[in-house]
Amino acid sequence: MGKGTPSMAIIEAVGLRKVFRSLERGSGIWGAVGALFSRTYVDKVAVDDVSFSLEPGELVGYIGPNGAGKSTTIKMLTGILVPSGGQLRVAGIVPHAHRMANAANIGVVFGQRSQLYWDLPLRESFELLRSIYDIPRARYLENMRHFAAILDLDRFLATPVRQLSLGERMRGDFAAAMLHDPKIVFLDEPTIGLDVVAKEAIREFIGTINRDRGTTVILTTHDLADVERLSRRIILIDEGKVIYDGSLERLREEYGTHRTLVVNLAESYPEFVVAGAEVVSRELNLVRLRFNRRALTAEALIRRVTERYQITDVSIIEPDIDSIVRRIYLEGYHEGAALRQAQDDTPS
Amino acid sequence: MIIAKPRFRLEPYVQFAQKAMAREATYRFDVFTSIASVLVRVYLLRMVWVALYARNAAPSELPLHAIITYSTVALLMGLVMDIDQTRALHDRLHTGDIATDFMKPIVVPFYFFADGSGEVLFHAVLIVPSLLLALFIVHIDVPGPLVIGTFFVSFFLGYLVGFCINFILNCVAFWTLEIHAVQLIVTWVTDLFGGEIIPLVIFPVFLQRIAFALPFAAMFSTPLLIYVGVIRPERYAAALGLQAGWLAVLAVVATLMWRAGAKRVIVQGG
Repeated sequence: MGKGTPSMAIIEAVGLRKVFRSLERGSGIWGAVGALFSRTYVDKVAVDDVSFSLEPGELVGYIGPNGAGKSTTIKMLTGILVPSGGQLRVAGIVPHAHRMANAANIGVVFGQRSQLYWDLPLRESFELLRSIYDIPRARYLENMRHFAAILDLDRFLATPVRQLSLGERMRGDFAAAMLHDPKIVFLDEPTIGLDVVAKEAIREFIGTINRDRGTTVILTTHDLADVERLSRRIILIDEGKVIYDGSLERLREEYGTHRTLVVNLAESYPEFVVAGAEVVSRELNLVRLRFNRRALTAEALIRRVTERYQITDVSIIEPDIDSIVRRIYLEGYHEGAALRQAQDDTPS
Repeated sequence: MIIAKPRFRLEPYVQFAQKAMAREATYRFDVFTSIASVLVRVYLLRMVWVALYARNAAPSELPLHAIITYSTVALLMGLVMDIDQTRALHDRLHTGDIATDFMKPIVVPFYFFADGSGEVLFHAVLIVPSLLLALFIVHIDVPGPLVIGTFFVSFFLGYLVGFCINFILNCVAFWTLEIHAVQLIVTWVTDLFGGEIIPLVIFPVFLQRIAFALPFAAMFSTPLLIYVGVIRPERYAAALGLQAGWLAVLAVVATLMWRAGAKRVIVQGG
């Protein structure tokens, strides 16, 4: 890339597309038998016109429901899947055309599978990786010391991988992915199935390598707490399409418009209605009210409630990223949609 | 932009083989049972052949001592020949872990070859104690250096033929994921037509024709018939040539299968 080029993107995807072709299969046993002879194919678009670009050192959350196309995108980035269309460059390399060269630049962690060698002590897997990536001995020892300290590996370095707990194995997998100082790491559901302590250790590690080593990170996850804790930018993907690419704050600003007021009533009022708020649930005397914070302040709403009802307690729940994302999946993302809705909600 | 292909280094593959040996050594119980199982079979087959030869006229080519030598050497060869060295390929396709192999800067089929070779080398070491113990049970004929030398060359070719057949079978998993049934059929055919249990030369003539026309004979039958002297030195070149021919054909098939399978993984996502 020449001087003065505005973009120095380390990852660049333009109109990326992946179509899987599979045999059409009827239902039941005859469908299964028929499929042996059938030549009818069905195309499934897994990734559809996905474009994004990442600067070196960025940490991006790549978020989507099951089957949204997250893993397919990651596989194309690692060069083990050939895109059906579009352009892709990872550190200047077209991944599938130069799989080996690309592999030297990247590190990958899958929460659902391990790249460690099952029957061997953890330390031997690291030795093997040293040889595969041709890591200079001094650098290898330094990284091992560093990772062992952060991830607390020393206790189980001599244990065969098959005997490790999931948390220990994941810590081993993270060290394995980072051993050759990759410029970019792809993390596919890295905290899945981990307990709170292990999750925190992993998040801490991801934060550290991103901050201290300037490693570019793409993190796909279901657990939005990972994203809230780690990244400022998220890319939302659904049905193979990018539906949002931007900061977490903006999303919260636009979509986190509704707060919930939880009211404990002093008496069991048979009818409970408050202007400007919607009753979401009611269990005996506990009522949840959803209201738009742009249309109504919490103070005003509490006043409206206390004018008509006796209450014993009240609290406010702020919108979390989980509910925001769930809402976008259901309704789709529309810029400014939240603002329009604020006007509708204003009581006349 | 021109991207330099990373230079090929042998070191990782040597490491793969070493780690595979270390892995096999961790299953110590397996080591003892496989030696014990060979010894039991040596004893049983000796009983069977002694009983059969006592009631029938011995074939002129294979007197009793020769057939006992044949079946004992066959069982010792089985210690390495009966290993499915590339089962790792099938396992990793089945679990999807093959994806992590393609994400590393390695030539993936070489990895499977190195891993399988390590496994086989470890088991080859077991031949020595098994042989020494077998000598307490049976007498084995020891031919001259020319025969022994040719036998080892033929054994090695037979091993490579077996490797290719196994690799091809495990490649079937690229399409079907499950290969148990296919493997079972091939095992039966190999047992029958490979010459591991019954020498092909005592088959009825029409079965012999079929057996000698198949690649399985190149695995056990050729080296064993060289060892017991049924194949004489003037036919060595032809016998080894036929083995090498089968090896070439099967290596081409294996390469084509691998290419098509790997393409399927990277285009279809497995």
